[in-house]
Amino acid sequence: MIEIKDLHASIETDEGEAKEIIKGLNLSIPAGEVHAIMGPNGAGKSTLAYVLAGRDDYDVTNGSAMLDGQDLLDLAPEERAAAGLFLAFQYPVEIPGVNMSMFLKTSINAIRKQRGEDELDALGMLKLIKAKTKELGIADDMMKRAVNVGFSGGEKKRNEVLQMAMLEPKFCILDETDSGLDIDALKIVAEGVNRLRGDDKSFLVITHYQRLLEYIKPDVVHIMADGKIIKSGGPELALELEEKGYAGFIGKAA
Amino acid sequence: MSALALKPDNLPTPKDEDWKYTNLSRALGDLKSVPSQDVQEIVIHKTSGEVCGQIEDIMWTGVEGQHQNLRLKIVLEEGAQLTLIERHEGSGAYWKNMSTEITLGANARLNHIRIQDDSVEAIQTNMVHITMERDAYLNSFSLNMGGKLTRHDIHVVLNGSNIDCSLNGVTLLKGKQHGDTTILMEHTAPHCLSNQFYRTILDDAARGVFQGKVHVHQAAQKTDGYQLSNTLLLSPKAEMDTKPELEIYADDVKCSHGATTGQLDEAPLFYLRSRGLSEAQARMLLVQAFVDEVVDKVSDSALHEEIKEKAGCWLEDALKSDG
Repeated sequence: MIEIKDLHASIETDEGEAKEIIKGLNLSIPAGEVHAIMGPNGAGKSTLAYVLAGRDDYDVTNGSAMLDGQDLLDLAPEERAAAGLFLAFQYPVEIPGVNMSMFLKTSINAIRKQRGEDELDALGMLKLIKAKTKELGIADDMMKRAVNVGFSGGEKKRNEVLQMAMLEPKFCILDETDSGLDIDALKIVAEGVNRLRGDDKSFLVITHYQRLLEYIKPDVVHIMADGKIIKSGGPELALELEEKGYAGFIGKAA
Repeated sequence: MSALALKPDNLPTPKDEDWKYTNLSRALGDLKSVPSQDVQEIVIHKTSGEVCGQIEDIMWTGVEGQHQNLRLKIVLEEGAQLTLIERHEGSGAYWKNMSTEITLGANARLNHIRIQDDSVEAIQTNMVHITMERDAYLNSFSLNMGGKLTRHDIHVVLNGSNIDCSLNGVTLLKGKQHGDTTILMEHTAPHCLSNQFYRTILDDAARGVFQGKVHVHQAAQKTDGYQLSNTLLLSPKAEMDTKPELEIYADDVKCSHGATTGQLDEAPLFYLRSRGLSEAQARMLLVQAFVDEVVDKVSDSALHEEIKEKAGCWLEDALKSDG
């Protein structure tokens, strides 16, 4: 399970001043549960995702993020991945010149090595890739293409879910995985995520819209504003939010 | 027309516009006054329609203390086809004062791969003159990694229509190495395609120069002329000078040029690390990919592997010493 306590994080502005984005955030997700975070632009949702994954443009000034008793914030990004964190990027990065199969192979074996497991041989890798791409309806020829280069919005997000399926994480963060997807692509991505749900995995789903939550049913919904969680509740909270808009909630909280 | 080697008593200086980034005279030092050796010449002449299945493999070896006068002449008559690998090695300080003349007849096809791995004390100047007739095809690739100072000076004249000419190169320099690639691509006839694709990685206090000009004459309508130079700097002391130029006198053409110089982007580095790769592993993968995109232009698979491996070793060394 993941337990975030009193997290504060800031970013350096162009003027060289520290601007606090996450302002004392507390969040606890038991194993097996899916939590959603909703909130207006600028609430700090994506910053939270990046801070947990270890992007170094952010300065963590206080707090902890324990994953099964280990503080993620003490680890390098690659160590966090090996510890079981997976971030599905809102904007998956294009990597010209590195083809998908090379990328997946390097990534899987880097993680296995860190976890003290044997590296997969070429045949084992091929089988794993074949099985997982088939589940997600990904064409074989995508494996020959450069990572995310020239991929459609749907292909990029499916690719994130593919990696999520292969790296066997314990805690997955989906950062606006629904953005830029049409309804068919959204369903495929959601099915991919639902297939991974299990007693040993926790999910944090960051989204603007209730629509994604119709397909990935959350156990708990949190509303985030100004760097903090201001309200938590069941799935009905997302519907309430849809009706009243963020203004209603943020007004209430103030 | 013939390509001429440089004359020691009349060397270009940085006052000449084309040579402003490259001070040959200073780099030559004592070698300037060494009398030149007799001309060493390799002539490869394929007659009309001759298709060579076998790769021609030639080697130029530099010898300590010498001023070598090297001449390479390639003539492919109409419809002839050839793949040529040209290798450069040597030891000690020497000057390879070289000229290369390539003449491709109508419909001739040449794959020219050049691996320049001269001694780090050596100077190499290679004045290249290429003329191509209608429907001819040239795919040239050079790996430039040797030499204290090298100048690869290429002048191409596209004389007939429907020519396909691509010049590709990877330059890998460290220490105080200086590598200069200067290209003049002249389109004199319509419907030709020319492509220049060069990538450079500079470490330590190395200096790279890329000057590329596409000159489209008025008669050369429907020209496609492209040029791209990308440089990665691995050290704050490295320097790259680029001068991309287009000179266009025809009104119906597609031409572009682009030049970038910088460090590795943070975004792909973080993406790879978030997928479990160590920082060193991620950097290596990214620089390797940067180079491979040009190396992929080499169509012969054995040569492709050889070049990839040679460049890979260089990159591993460079990244190791920085880590």
